[in-house]
Amino acid sequence: MLNAAYLRRSFGISGAAALFFIAGNSLAQKPTVVPKTFGDDYAGSEMCQLCHEDNFNSVTHVNAHRVLETDARYGYQGHVCEACHGPGAKHASTGDIAFIRFPSKLSAAATDKICLNCHLNQPTHAGRIQSTHAKNAVSCPNCHKMHVNGGTQLVARKNADVNALCEGCHANVKAQFEMPFRHRIPENAMKCVDCHNPHGTVRPTMTQTFAASEPGCLQCHGDKRGPFTFEHAPLQFDGCTACHEQHGSANPRMLIRPTVRQVCLECHANMPNALAGETKAMAVVPPAFHDLNSPIYQNCTVCHQKIHGSYADRFLIK
Amino acid sequence: MRRPTALELVATLIVLGAIVPRAAAQEPAAPAPAPTAAVSDTAAAAAPAPAAAAASPVPQASGESWLTGTLDVGFRFLPTPGGSFETYRTVVNLAQGVRLLGFDLTITEPSRKWFDTMHVRASGWGDPFPVFHFDAKKTGTYRLNVDYRGIALFDNLPVYADPLLASGITLDEQSFDIYRRITSVNLEIRPGTAFTPYVALERDSSSGTGVTTFQTGGNVYPIADTTDDATNLARAGFRAGFRHFDATFEEGYTNYRSDQNDSASGTNYGDSSAPVTGQTLDLTALLAGYGVRGHSNYTKAIITSSPFSWFDIYAQAMYTVPLANVNYQQYDTGNQVVLSQLLFYTGEQYLVSSTTRFPHTTANVGWEIRPHRRVRILQSWLTDRMTNTGSANQSDTVASAGSAASQTIAALDSSLAYHNSQAETNILFDAGHGLTIRAGYRYVWGTANDAVLPQNGLLTLEQDGLRRNVEMGTISWHSYRHPQLFLSGEAEVGESGGTYFRTSLYNYQRIRTMGRFSFWKRWQVSGDFRIMNNHNPLAGDSYKFVTHQESLTLIYTPRSKVFNADVTYEHCGYHSNVEFLVPESLTPGDSAFNENCHRISGMLNSSITGFHKRTITLEAGGAAVLTSGTNPTTYYQPTAKMMAPVAKNVALFAEWRYYGFGEAFYQFQSFRANLMTVGLRFSR
Repeated sequence: MLNAAYLRRSFGISGAAALFFIAGNSLAQKPTVVPKTFGDDYAGSEMCQLCHEDNFNSVTHVNAHRVLETDARYGYQGHVCEACHGPGAKHASTGDIAFIRFPSKLSAAATDKICLNCHLNQPTHAGRIQSTHAKNAVSCPNCHKMHVNGGTQLVARKNADVNALCEGCHANVKAQFEMPFRHRIPENAMKCVDCHNPHGTVRPTMTQTFAASEPGCLQCHGDKRGPFTFEHAPLQFDGCTACHEQHGSANPRMLIRPTVRQVCLECHANMPNALAGETKAMAVVPPAFHDLNSPIYQNCTVCHQKIHGSYADRFLIK
Repeated sequence: MRRPTALELVATLIVLGAIVPRAAAQEPAAPAPAPTAAVSDTAAAAAPAPAAAAASPVPQASGESWLTGTLDVGFRFLPTPGGSFETYRTVVNLAQGVRLLGFDLTITEPSRKWFDTMHVRASGWGDPFPVFHFDAKKTGTYRLNVDYRGIALFDNLPVYADPLLASGITLDEQSFDIYRRITSVNLEIRPGTAFTPYVALERDSSSGTGVTTFQTGGNVYPIADTTDDATNLARAGFRAGFRHFDATFEEGYTNYRSDQNDSASGTNYGDSSAPVTGQTLDLTALLAGYGVRGHSNYTKAIITSSPFSWFDIYAQAMYTVPLANVNYQQYDTGNQVVLSQLLFYTGEQYLVSSTTRFPHTTANVGWEIRPHRRVRILQSWLTDRMTNTGSANQSDTVASAGSAASQTIAALDSSLAYHNSQAETNILFDAGHGLTIRAGYRYVWGTANDAVLPQNGLLTLEQDGLRRNVEMGTISWHSYRHPQLFLSGEAEVGESGGTYFRTSLYNYQRIRTMGRFSFWKRWQVSGDFRIMNNHNPLAGDSYKFVTHQESLTLIYTPRSKVFNADVTYEHCGYHSNVEFLVPESLTPGDSAFNENCHRISGMLNSSITGFHKRTITLEAGGAAVLTSGTNPTTYYQPTAKMMAPVAKNVALFAEWRYYGFGEAFYQFQSFRANLMTVGLRFSR
């Protein structure tokens, strides 16, 4: 269970974490960008309440952002509205919307900057820089509704609501789930964020990770986890999508081709003029004695049943 | 068809029954004083938050109920589906009976003594995929999440695993009927404070039966199969948060077991009835079992920091070491043959013990620099390294009447090593008026080695390298003047100098455009177009594919709100071609796959106020999929729903669904089914 290599690596990571911890502590002593005193240009939440009572009630009573109103640590005590909308005294005195900031009408980067002023240093944002959402100008309010009057529900939590939210932009993915062989998204037995982290991860297409860096698919498909004594290499390199359509397919078991043979032979086929060296793809040589005219050989997984990896047989038969 | 046990249902009801009366017993407290509007001073802002401040009582909004929720219970009728019932179960798997269709409860404790809010949700109880969720929190003190999910997995398609189907013989060689349970419990202490420890337990288990194949002695036999596996994950860590710095450190331990038992009795002639040198092969008895035990430790550290207003950085490192130990035992009798030696035997004992170790390291660093208010530079680096080393000892003993037993002992070592890295830079320019332009470059490289020692037969040693240059660009426009207008275009071009597999991306171009626009105040239209073209030009690895999708969505929401409608249409195509040599003749062949599909879905929602001013809601719509090409398929899913209030907090609902599935080449797999559900919704 524990060995020297594991301890070395663990201590290495712990050491790095400690260094960052110390460095961060020292940096934390420096002046912050959050205003600690409010000038005449700030109106205060109670002033906002006079005209925007619904929003005030939702934010200060049931919304998670109420901590801004009550907790001095965030630097906006008594000014929860102005934490996001900016100084509001001029707007309050004139009623002119030109003097108030609407985050939803700012550029994605400017909007995110307002939210990240408090939320940047959170683990959910560790992969943000790599996420396609961040790169494609999808800002926080696209998914998070700030004035919602539903407890901590700044974002959809129920499976059906989460799926509807994602489908609002990803209509093509919604259509893929209408295929007969699919993950159970239309039945709301799952939600999109079971497989994807919308804030970004280290894995492609923002897929979730399980137990550190393993593919999130293994969260539910634990029997495919291994490690296998004899691995099927594409499972580790390309993941499940090497053979399966992850959303939905017209093919049984969500395969990328209608027959198993097609899936296998696209890699396992003798090729003319196979090149040597690094340009030669892996696993191009099939067992040449198979007579594919015989129906018994037409479905490879009838014999190679341990296709995800085998503990006992190098040819993935047992 | 596996349904949740009575015990599971009763346990849920007990939990709910315990929660609701307790919450109901709480007398509403007098509202606490309104929060002060006083401006915080500098010292208070810089100091760590006192827990008491974070947990201070907050007044309840006037008129707000401490308990809100809905409960949907009903009965589903399922007249016997027409066509293949096995396919119906594989695709739909909904059965007849009483169902807890939905339960949603939110409790706000007025005194906030034990919790601020509590959410309980459940759905699909009685169906193949029940869900339960419990969430309770007390600001600054704790947050507790409990999730349970059950998934009934059933698969028995005749054509999937029947090599003799073309001969008119229907076999059932690969099917399963498994129930999977996934549970997680997550507890955070003092969430939102400077130091937040947390602990979580997760369990994923499944058990069930099925049919699999047993390959031995020159033939393949369908046999009964039972599986039972479980993965337990315990993890704990802490988050330390400061104004410019946050660190998360987590340790986890996983243990894993997987048992599989196969058995057969009676004479089984298998898939091949052809005699071998005049003798018919058969299997008369089999006992085979896998015992897999594994565990892993992992360490995860995440650091995020924004030391300057123009600079953010994060880093994460993850290290895990899964290990597995396996015992496989197999005893079988019959008339079988070792083809390579033409050695006939009547009994076999095959034993394998193996062990595998699979260290896996992932590290990732990224930063964002904002040198100008309109310019952002995003850079990241990622490396992923894993090495699987396995060793197996095998002992195979065959015996026949009248001759001495023959034993073969082998020791095999396997190794799979993989290293993959990528570095990426993106520059984003805010051109003003909602226009954002991005240009980026990514370089991906890696190596892979796969070996089995000692070398024996095919596929013993392979090594390969990956090198890929990718250029990317995006233009997106979100109109300030018309906030409902959004347009985005994205392009990516990749060129490779080597890949691991011939079906991996090589030289590819990917384009995506999407837009959304609202007009006449009541209409919204959105469109999405994407195309991807990949071509591997190497003479030995020729492979090309094109995939494209075009979708259009129209939403109409009239002012009267009497009804609204949405409809989405999508056309998609997938065309691929891989050249290969037919194994037995070594003549060139093509693996071509073509699919054209049309998918349409829509829903019309209507609210009618009628008798006693009660509002009846009606919904009608559904989805249809038609594909043509290599595997023509049709799949229709129309539906209609109705909900009408019958008392103050009670509504009657009814739902009709139809499923129709057909395959042009396998018409015997088609099915059609009508489902009718009637029930009551209780709300508060």
